[in-house]
Amino acid sequence: MPSQSLRNTWLIIKREYLERVRQRSFLVLTLLLPAIMIGAFVIPAKLSSMKSSTKQRLVVVSSTPQFGEIVRQQLLASSKSEESSATDKDKGDKDLDESTPGRDYDIEIDANSSDAERAVLRNRVTSGEIDGFLWMTDDAVAARKVTYYGRTAGGFMGNSWFKDQLDRAILLRELAQRGVNDTQAEELLKPVKLDTVHLEGGKETKANDRGMFFAVFGMVMLLYTAVIFYGVSVMRAVLEEKNSRVMEVLLSSATATELMAGKLIGVGAVGLTQIGIWIVMASVYALPALAASSAGGEIHIAPLTLAAFALFFLMGYLLYSTIYAAIGAVITSEQEGQQLQFIVILPLIISVFMMGPVMHAPDAPVAVWTSMVPFFSPVLMYLRIAVQPPPVWQIALSLFLLIATIAGILILCARIYRIGILMYGKRPTLPEIVKWLKYA
Amino acid sequence: MNTIELNKVRKSYDEFVAVDDLSLVIHPGEVYGLLGPNGAGKTSTLRMMIGITVPDSGTVSMFGEPLRRAHVERLGYLPEERGLYKKMKVLEQLVFLGELKGLSARDALQRSQQWCERLGLKDWTGKKVEELSKGMQQKVQFIGAVVHDPQFVVMDEPFSGLDPASAVVLKDAFIELKNAGKTLLFSTHRMDTAERLCDSICLINHGRAVLEGDLNKIRAGYGKRNVQIKYEGDSRFLKDPKIVQSSNDYGNYVEVRLAPGADPQELLKAATACARVSKFELMEPSLEEIFLEAVGKANA
Repeated sequence: MPSQSLRNTWLIIKREYLERVRQRSFLVLTLLLPAIMIGAFVIPAKLSSMKSSTKQRLVVVSSTPQFGEIVRQQLLASSKSEESSATDKDKGDKDLDESTPGRDYDIEIDANSSDAERAVLRNRVTSGEIDGFLWMTDDAVAARKVTYYGRTAGGFMGNSWFKDQLDRAILLRELAQRGVNDTQAEELLKPVKLDTVHLEGGKETKANDRGMFFAVFGMVMLLYTAVIFYGVSVMRAVLEEKNSRVMEVLLSSATATELMAGKLIGVGAVGLTQIGIWIVMASVYALPALAASSAGGEIHIAPLTLAAFALFFLMGYLLYSTIYAAIGAVITSEQEGQQLQFIVILPLIISVFMMGPVMHAPDAPVAVWTSMVPFFSPVLMYLRIAVQPPPVWQIALSLFLLIATIAGILILCARIYRIGILMYGKRPTLPEIVKWLKYA
Repeated sequence: MNTIELNKVRKSYDEFVAVDDLSLVIHPGEVYGLLGPNGAGKTSTLRMMIGITVPDSGTVSMFGEPLRRAHVERLGYLPEERGLYKKMKVLEQLVFLGELKGLSARDALQRSQQWCERLGLKDWTGKKVEELSKGMQQKVQFIGAVVHDPQFVVMDEPFSGLDPASAVVLKDAFIELKNAGKTLLFSTHRMDTAERLCDSICLINHGRAVLEGDLNKIRAGYGKRNVQIKYEGDSRFLKDPKIVQSSNDYGNYVEVRLAPGADPQELLKAATACARVSKFELMEPSLEEIFLEAVGKANA
């Protein structure tokens, strides 16, 4: 009676889904997680990109006032240009390797480089009159050893920006001394912009490294989060039914396989709904910014990669949830479940460890074969598709193995489920579980 | 056509034999009691009857055919402990259970509402199960077992943990089903409950049937060999082994089992000789005594 089976499974899916989605905790989690994400990433980023209300007051001590002026111009121009290039298409690259304090500067030039003056400046810093001073006498510059005295150390990133500006100022001066004019100097100092071209089936696609990085790690993170969140709720759902003996009532109406499949799909759908809501929220929030920063196709994800993402994410989710359901059928309390969670976590962690080697050599035998193993393939086969699409037969084989494993575990679980739920008391040992499998 | 028939059914879990060569027959329209002490194998037997577990050997047939999935739709099951989703609302839960048994959503809703009204749960249909008292939860569980109007209702310890008022409501619903021609099977370790409700019984102990069949016939087979005596004074009359086989003395009230072939009048004479007797009544044996005796014989 396949139609009755489908009907039962559908009823169980419906109950599982509606019960969960209607719970207040679903709504809370759906709203809370984005709030936490915003709290954890966006607010600090916003804060640090906000200009401090007060200007930084610096003193540049230079024996040659003209050079002091070059440094001043360089610092001012650079902090200004950073501001105006917020929507610049280079920004995407820049903000990863360079960070500017993003502040306004009030820079004073001091030609007096005596020790007495240094003591005076130190006092001014201590009293808070100025934020710091740069000690760059001609000797210091010649020795390329400049000292910054400041109330705050300025932070590592700030220092590197600072140093870059000083290097540039010194270079500009040196060039000027060698008779190179400003325009020529700018020309000479123009930084390199590295484009990488990704060859995919003979066609070139634009630089892809960052897109791939995000696509792969995004998927792994999403899979990990979903498995941890919803896998555990599958486990709990099974455990709860067992403890309340709802199972007996249900088993007098439906088969264990129907129950199991319904539960997995129901809870799974809840997870997907939640993730879907988050993705919509994230795109509404982040898309404009993303569109602005990735103009020119910086973050490019191939359609094949996207399709693989959806497919392998679903498969991985299903596989790991099934394992969780089996854990739920075996255990008698949630504490026991926690001890057994390594069964799920371990393959996920191994997958993450394998990502490096696979990314570097996606064709190497070790990559090919680990990406066939069902417990790793959701991450690794997907990674290979994203890095360099493997032959179709390999994708097909890995998918086949994955689906077969899911079906196998599902049937096995239904058996453990069926017997396990009717046994109470202590957690069964492995030999006992094997015995149960024979009973069903 | 028998509603259900077990033929030499055996079920063991590892070394432990829960049900051992059990055979029984339940006829349509009767109230059948599966009796026995805790751990006798009652629940294991019921589970095999409703297809949750499969016997290691022997056969289970329902409505004259080997037990199939389709039969299960025609039966209702009430498990021993509350088998309900605690966080689910009463009415939604009942509709879900009804639908699983093949009712349309509309029928399931309508019948659940009718039953709730009948058992006094009308004001609780929108509440979560966990907010209900134990007695009310048991009523919900009962409705869950009968909402699809099954021919055959199987109940595991339906009266355990119920307050007297709820027990009466449930008993009335029970009788109503019986009058409507349904076959009812329930397990209990309370002999007095079974005694009042059952047409037929099966007494099991250590997984084996000790007694099986029509309750009245079983009783008649044991004869009126029990006497209740209220007395004041000396209880020496209980010591004569020619008259008294065994006695259960409460001080001024005693239940006596007569020795085989003994005349009750002899006992009365002996009693009045040494004590003041205010009550002397010949009784049919209680199910409990029958059980104890049968078990004693089986063990001997």
